[in-house]
Amino acid sequence: MVTQSRVKVLAFTAAAGVALAACSASADSTEAGVGDEGEVTMVNVVKLAGGDWFNRMEVGNQEWAAEHPGTVVTQTAGDDASEEKQIAVINDLIPQQPAALTVVPNSPESLESVLKRAEESGIVVITHEAPGIENAVANIEAFDNNAYGGFQMDTLAACMGDSGEYAHMVGSLTVASHNVWAEGALERAAADYPDISRVADPISSEEDQETAYQRTKEIIATYPDIKGFIGAASTDIAGIGRAVQEAGLQGDTCVVGTSTPSTAGSLLDDGSIDVITGWDPALAGQAMLQAAQLVMDGEEIVDGMDLGVPGYESITQDPEIANNFYGDAWIEIRLDNLEDYPF
Amino acid sequence: MKAYTRRSRGARLRVHEIWDRYKGENHETALLLLILALLGVMAIVEPSALTMTFVGDIIRSGIVTLALALGLLLVIISGGMDVSFPAIAIFSGYATITVMNFFGVDGALWPFLLASIMGIALGSLNALFVARYRMETLIASLGTQVIIRGVLLAFIGSVYISTLPAQLDAIGASSIMRLGNSPVNILVLPVIALAFLVSWMLRKTMFGRSIYAIGGDRESARRVGIRVPSVQVRIYLIAGALAGFAGMVHVVLSRHASPFELVGTELNVIAAVVIGGALDSGGRGSVKGTVYGVLLISLVQNSLVRLGVSSYWHVLVVGVVVLVGVAIQAQASSREAKTTRILESTEASA
Repeated sequence: MVTQSRVKVLAFTAAAGVALAACSASADSTEAGVGDEGEVTMVNVVKLAGGDWFNRMEVGNQEWAAEHPGTVVTQTAGDDASEEKQIAVINDLIPQQPAALTVVPNSPESLESVLKRAEESGIVVITHEAPGIENAVANIEAFDNNAYGGFQMDTLAACMGDSGEYAHMVGSLTVASHNVWAEGALERAAADYPDISRVADPISSEEDQETAYQRTKEIIATYPDIKGFIGAASTDIAGIGRAVQEAGLQGDTCVVGTSTPSTAGSLLDDGSIDVITGWDPALAGQAMLQAAQLVMDGEEIVDGMDLGVPGYESITQDPEIANNFYGDAWIEIRLDNLEDYPF
Repeated sequence: MKAYTRRSRGARLRVHEIWDRYKGENHETALLLLILALLGVMAIVEPSALTMTFVGDIIRSGIVTLALALGLLLVIISGGMDVSFPAIAIFSGYATITVMNFFGVDGALWPFLLASIMGIALGSLNALFVARYRMETLIASLGTQVIIRGVLLAFIGSVYISTLPAQLDAIGASSIMRLGNSPVNILVLPVIALAFLVSWMLRKTMFGRSIYAIGGDRESARRVGIRVPSVQVRIYLIAGALAGFAGMVHVVLSRHASPFELVGTELNVIAAVVIGGALDSGGRGSVKGTVYGVLLISLVQNSLVRLGVSSYWHVLVVGVVVLVGVAIQAQASSREAKTTRILESTEASA
């Protein structure tokens, strides 16, 4: 009996093993390459490995690398969106001495000390989505986050007819950019739309679509007059849209938020989601690499500089934070221009 | 004065007797009281929140947790601990959808079966480590969790799939009834059926009683003739099947497939099972208690926005309630450890 079940287990395990091996055989084996003689290596450290957003950034990275012979760009991340994993990843990269790191932090504050060590060892550090970070030559934003929040509010207000209650969802209360957008939107509402009010503090979705969905159901139940939703993480409006759809409120609510067509595009069809706002991660990735290249060439990143990437032709220096620069690269995706954004 | 003391002591005795009679085999009653107390708080603070929609939302939020918890319950009763089940679940769910898309096939029932079979195959890894190599269950499942998740992301896919095959999507959209504004999905039925099945298995079958015996005292179980490794193998295969099924339920209910989900929810599920009266040292636990545990967790998670609690406080509040639930169980079982168990009821729990 014991032997028999052992055999069965072994058979199962073997079957699982074979299946896994078969999968691995079909996967690409594009090895990163630590950089041969004369090759410059740049590493793009993102929040989470895989996922459409950062896959799109990797597309941009590789386009940029193709235009810059002799440069190898690789992308890496922890296997979940935690600060600890990202710190560990960067820790492991420092001894490999890449020429530059382009980092999209999960939590900028928690990365300061590890980025400081990277800079001290001579690595050029450029960040994205981390306004106010200290240990980076430059933080490149697609746009001024506060202005983007205002832009989202303008979009939402146009949809809501300039009045009503809205709720704002953020990926996490520690993601700096999400919370600046939320503030920007609230400030714009206070300034330009006296009849629009926010029902509660920003609500955290823990970067999880299922959580966004459940919190939205709660919001709909608690504030039956709700007219609008703004989402920050790319899965937020997908969860919000699903809840709105189930409640049959597609026609009565406006859903606007940062996402990608592949995540949220299918919900544009019936109005569960109204407008996807955002920026193209491919271009942001390229802007970071170009900035890193300029620094490596001995130039300084300054106000009005042209990074040669659409939307980043004349970057603006933040008047308050010297190493913070932004372009004007926001985009608005609706049902009618969905096809222009294949990511 | 004397009479008063005697009477009050008598009253106290009577309270104890009543409590002993109704506390439940795994202190489910204390848990139920905690749930009622929370509902009471809601009724006072925000009475308008207690609606049928609320009930529907809790069911929707708890159903995947319950499906995941059933497999874990078996492992915990047998004296083990498992953290690999969410990885098994999302692997099975996501890989099934990937296979369906790859071959361009659609279906309603067989994908659930396929996911369960994948779950069994992945569960066999745990079985192998635990039963054959006698590894510590927690350590073994920590290892398999990382391996399974790594293989999923590296080889199966890391892409968000926003639309499911049509028939599965239809299941995700079909409900048996509406509670207020909240549709109750048809998948609630198979999960409830599984809960009854597991409960019956634990109480009425030789295999079920063997799980308790192993968890109670492995050596004694061996000496009365229970083949411990064989029972363990079956536990992990069944737990794998349940996790695979749960993964499919999650994918279909949320109507998209993302390989990044579920992993990270294991602590909630473990909390639900432990709050439900399953001792982490094994030998005790019931489906009924687990259902209450899941209810408690879902209740807390789905009431904070309704109560107007700021997101800044959510994690803290959930943590405190979990701690209270676990403390009730720990307190109760330590009290019981002081009393002799020789004449304890032989009536089955669960």
